[in-house]
Amino acid sequence: MNKLRLFFLSRRSWTLPYLIFSIIFVIIPLVLIVIYAFTDDTGRITLDNFRKFLAHPEAVNTFVYSIGIALLTTIGCIVLGYPAAWILSRSRSSYSRTLIMLFILPMWINILIRTLATVALFDFASLPLGEGALIFGMIYNFIPFMIYPIYNTLQKMDPSYVEAAQDLGANSFQVFWKVVFPLSMPGVVSGIMMVFMPTISTFAIAELLTMNNIKLFGTTIQENINNSLWNYGAALSLIMLFLIAATSLFSADDKNESEKGGQVW
Amino acid sequence: MKQKMKRWSWWAMLCVCSLLTSCYNVGESRENVLKVYNWADYIGEGVLEDFQQYYKEQTGEDIRIVYQTFDINEIMLTKIEKGHEDFDVVCPSEYIIERMLHKGLLLPIDTVFAHSPNYMKGVAPYIRQQIDKLTVPGDQPASRYAVCYMWGTAGLLYNKKYVSAQDLRSWGCLWDKRYAGKILMKDSYRDAYGMALLYAHREDLKDSTRSVTSLMNDYSPASMDSVEKYLKLLKPNVAGWEADFGKEMMTKGKAWMNMTWSGDAQWAIEEASAVGVDLGYTIPEEGSNVWYDGWVIPKYAQNPKAASYFINFLCRPDIALRNMEENGYVSSIAAPEIMEACIDSTLDKEVDASYFFGPEARHVKLRNTQYPDKSVIARCAMIRDFGDKTVDVLEIWSRVKGDNLNSGLVILILLVFVGLSAWQIRRRWLHYKRSHYKRSRRKLRRK
Amino acid sequence: MQTYLWVLLLMLYAPILIIVIYSFTEAKVLGNWTGFSFNLYRSLCNTGAHHSLMNALVNTIAIAFIAATVSTLLGSVAAIGIYNLKARSRKAMGFINTIPILNGDIITGISLFLLFVSLGITQGFTTVVLAHITFCTPYVVLSVLPRLKQMNPNLYEAALDLGATPMQALWKVIIPEIRPGMISGFLLALTISIDDFAVTVFTIGNQGLETLSTYIYADARKGGLTPELRPLSAVIFVVILVLLIIINRRADKAKNK
Repeated sequence: MNKLRLFFLSRRSWTLPYLIFSIIFVIIPLVLIVIYAFTDDTGRITLDNFRKFLAHPEAVNTFVYSIGIALLTTIGCIVLGYPAAWILSRSRSSYSRTLIMLFILPMWINILIRTLATVALFDFASLPLGEGALIFGMIYNFIPFMIYPIYNTLQKMDPSYVEAAQDLGANSFQVFWKVVFPLSMPGVVSGIMMVFMPTISTFAIAELLTMNNIKLFGTTIQENINNSLWNYGAALSLIMLFLIAATSLFSADDKNESEKGGQVW
Repeated sequence: MKQKMKRWSWWAMLCVCSLLTSCYNVGESRENVLKVYNWADYIGEGVLEDFQQYYKEQTGEDIRIVYQTFDINEIMLTKIEKGHEDFDVVCPSEYIIERMLHKGLLLPIDTVFAHSPNYMKGVAPYIRQQIDKLTVPGDQPASRYAVCYMWGTAGLLYNKKYVSAQDLRSWGCLWDKRYAGKILMKDSYRDAYGMALLYAHREDLKDSTRSVTSLMNDYSPASMDSVEKYLKLLKPNVAGWEADFGKEMMTKGKAWMNMTWSGDAQWAIEEASAVGVDLGYTIPEEGSNVWYDGWVIPKYAQNPKAASYFINFLCRPDIALRNMEENGYVSSIAAPEIMEACIDSTLDKEVDASYFFGPEARHVKLRNTQYPDKSVIARCAMIRDFGDKTVDVLEIWSRVKGDNLNSGLVILILLVFVGLSAWQIRRRWLHYKRSHYKRSRRKLRRK
Repeated sequence: MQTYLWVLLLMLYAPILIIVIYSFTEAKVLGNWTGFSFNLYRSLCNTGAHHSLMNALVNTIAIAFIAATVSTLLGSVAAIGIYNLKARSRKAMGFINTIPILNGDIITGISLFLLFVSLGITQGFTTVVLAHITFCTPYVVLSVLPRLKQMNPNLYEAALDLGATPMQALWKVIIPEIRPGMISGFLLALTISIDDFAVTVFTIGNQGLETLSTYIYADARKGGLTPELRPLSAVIFVVILVLLIIINRRADKAKNK
């Protein structure tokens, strides 16, 4: 066994602090959500929280509607973000780095102020607030999270694949559809993960952009927690967790997904 | 050397961090802390600091104020009722005060102060009477538990350019198709319930078979049904349910009518005149509701003494005036200097505010957003707590605001899910086939 | 092709442009123009006047810096550890690491809220910082790991052969290699901590602590946005923009050398 191995073996234990931290602040809290979801105020085990969800058409409605909005947002982000990532990956590196910085920069202005400014923008352009404004606002808020993972994978892609495909007589559409797009899939998948879930759980933004006409699932959860209905709120969160698990199933096959595409910056 | 510097700076940073963290956990006696729970933007800038000074002068003790804001009454109530949180002084609306009284959640307010007069006496007798209506039978009057802070009415804020005075005489203008898409409603189920019921019974009100007070507190199934019917008819006209943006939309002329509270209306009228939009406020002839926000000391308070001093301080006329200027709402204190400050000689109409300021205020130029005429107040009533009917009213409200799910979205969701599943199954199948193929090849080779 | 990027950027910056423009007028409502004036900036600088707003700003910055520093340390150490794990446990750690990212703010917020409530911890500054560390660290790990992978493992061995102790080798070889990753992780953590609202709102408790986002939220719900927030946002924006330009310039220069 050489020295390198020896050293790196000892370095393994460096994971411990983070592991312990994660267990306390990530794993246990999630377990708590499950516990709260299946109990009532007095701590008895019950399924009432889920029954309540199904018995209230508004809640189910909000849930399904939120999924729909999240899908539209995700699709919008891919459609708008993919070309941007593609162009960025083709540019000189210092130039693209500057542009990437420019894409993060808006995050330094508080999200609610940005949203209120979006409302003002719509007013300014005499556009009606509502679903359209909501989707615009959502795409606006989440598009950076789509661009970076895709940009990362595209940048690492070996350009000789494209050349090879071209040499073999593929037209540019075929090159894109058969070579580039499949190779950038890990980036797209992690982009989807980073846009889809947060969109469903967004709160406060939807109300501002639709004059309180539309409520997303995040608001429903928040209202319940605020009203001290912790168990019901936990049950709603658990329903969302199931959805997260379901979406991540679709990406589970991609090996190294978290390593390749997950790095956002 | 450079590396050492780096390390050193890391440590320094860590130390600063831990110092900062520990600052927030310094133990101090609870008697020197006052926990205030108030609506956002509901107190004059600097008033809290002045209270600290005042408290020091009065009692010789230092006080640190923990100031927390809420935006929904019910959240405040659950925090205190279920969470037993130790706020010393909170500012709920009248129906929540009533509920808290019934649940025995309040402590009486001290009115005797060593060195300071009792400013709470300055509350207008009219307001005190209204608050006393909340009294639980067999208990002390409600005004012993609650001191009204701000009060106001619900009415219509309108753009004078687009809406005629004739239409505004009745709540019916909200149902008028000509104004469709230009109407904003306050996102408040209680105000909407009262308004819809008054409009539904407009004929009964005219021939005095029903009174505003009785209608405002009528939760019979028939009334609930008619409220739901009327509100559902109203919905297509409504552009949005506003929590706060109504005044902004109104000042920009994007909406023409807004059912809102008088304080918001006052704010909007002032702001609109700065950009040359002429807004007005009116209370239709059917009547409306009048509301009160009051300071109370919850049962779980740990510093009721400072809380009483705080309430008393806020009742001091100069402080009351400062708070009024902050938010456009109207203080419950009836002091001559407040009337003086509110008189606006540019107004062309006088109001009779004698119910509030006493007989000398029969003909004064006050704004109707702040002090409505006596005749208007006569057709306004307080909406009491719905009690156990709250759940039913809330269900009506959520049915009215309704679902926004359209079939296009459902189809989209289904398509995406079917697509994804199909893709997944196909992938699994290919994967299986490939591994199967490999396995059989391996077997072959072994043979 | 480049025009597309710029159009997209224009779309992203349009709302911010509106804030900057309207910070030069006094109107209380965003979108109304009542003539050009510096009054909002003046009243912002007038420290006494907006005590609670400034307080919230200081809290936000303090929380962001503490959380970003701690999560950078924790995340870098963890990344070195994870890099040296065997494939299976590395995968497991990678999965645990992505949980907070995938969960989204609200679930992270609620789960931590339930944790603090169940443990009976009074929520306040410390809990907000802990919560922010929780959702910042994964991003640090993800930005440090690739650096470790790019590193030439022989470098470390060479250092040992030349007589360096493992600790020295760590400081002189590994840390400089992963420093860019740590810096970008730190900046990222800072950014998302400052932008966060959902997690903060669930863990902030009732001790009167306010951050910029909770202040703005309460403000927007009642009484409209405090006009001074417009110049404040404009100032923050310009400062960050200038900082980023400087950093970029320096990075470019370093590269050219």
